[in-house]
Amino acid sequence: MTKMFGVALAMLVAVAGVSAHHSFAAEYDSNKPVNVSGTVMNVEWTNPHIHFWVDVKGADGSVVHWRFEGYPPNMLVRQGWKKDVTLKPGDTITVTGWQARLEPTLGAAREVTFADGRKMSAGPPAGTGGQ
Amino acid sequence: MRARTLGSSTTALIVFVVAAVIAASAIARGQGAASAAAKPIPRTADGKPDFSGVWIANSTIRLLEGEQQVEAMRQGDRAAGRQPLPPPEPLSYKPEYEKVRQEFLARRGIDDPMARCLISGVPRISVRPLPFQIVQTPGLFVLLYEVHHAFRIIPTDGRPHPDDIEPSYNGDSTARWDGNTLVVDVTGFNTKTWLAGVGTVHSEQLHVTERYTRDSYDTIRYDVLVEDPEVLTKPWNMHELFRLRPNERIREYECIENNEDLLRIEKLLQNESVFRIK
Repeated sequence: MTKMFGVALAMLVAVAGVSAHHSFAAEYDSNKPVNVSGTVMNVEWTNPHIHFWVDVKGADGSVVHWRFEGYPPNMLVRQGWKKDVTLKPGDTITVTGWQARLEPTLGAAREVTFADGRKMSAGPPAGTGGQ
Repeated sequence: MRARTLGSSTTALIVFVVAAVIAASAIARGQGAASAAAKPIPRTADGKPDFSGVWIANSTIRLLEGEQQVEAMRQGDRAAGRQPLPPPEPLSYKPEYEKVRQEFLARRGIDDPMARCLISGVPRISVRPLPFQIVQTPGLFVLLYEVHHAFRIIPTDGRPHPDDIEPSYNGDSTARWDGNTLVVDVTGFNTKTWLAGVGTVHSEQLHVTERYTRDSYDTIRYDVLVEDPEVLTKPWNMHELFRLRPNERIREYECIENNEDLLRIEKLLQNESVFRIK
């Protein structure tokens, strides 16, 4: 039953107009949402996806180095992002998205919330992928 | 989580207010879209509808601008008297190819050729979430896709396909006019693309007929007939609307620049149980 539902869901996604650059569903687990807050350490403004690193401090003081994948620059620019301005090292942000199937601290970013409360779309919804 | 603690009347009020705000905004924007729709359709020197401009698939608006804008555009469509697109039609595969497709689906699309930055093929390339530009002259219809730097240079004088076609990702296109509709005949495909989504395979017998109709100043109606008697039990119809993006331009998109998906996919393929639908 689960398999049938999964296949049906995949078919629904398959006929959706917007296609993925890669298979989001194979690389990321839509059942594992991520919500982390931390400090941006680096931003890689590249195709077909941007990447950014976020250091997340735990209650015990330990630091987990998260890495996120997002839309390609062209998609972000069209939504108001600007290279080196919107997201840069030192910024404090909260990222929501989904965890990768293989790497526990890799995520597909969906939305970034900045220190001033602004929210910006950073990546596609689960399942439909980006470019 | 917190929403669960709200009373049902409070929740209903919030839903109502949000819906009212969205509707009001949508109507306001819809009126703007309607006035754009009233502009005359441009024509080239030979009197044919001129499709020149930067366009993007309707389905992409949701990703770029959200559900609210999609609804606003629907309102504009209704105000302009545009008929809604027919509902999506399922592809009907022969059993042996349906089995192939199901396997790709069970593998959650990890085999998608696009993950390797390969040209998406027709009609899939038309609905990618990046814009394309049409440059039209009398006798020529040129499609410049942001994605993959792909282009199609299509003669519109109804000439036959060349007799030396090599199978390719986007195939070979030739077009003719049917009134105000440009009918593009596409053939000569390789088998390395998917038609519309995960596992939608095809054979070299694939024959695509695209119909481009500029049904208003700011929209192109895109109707596609996909025929492939080798894999499909019947032809498949696909419909989409392209929206004019007057303030947009085609930018460079070098997909292979930093395509980490390739490495990730290689790792995943070493352990299928990690991603395969059980």
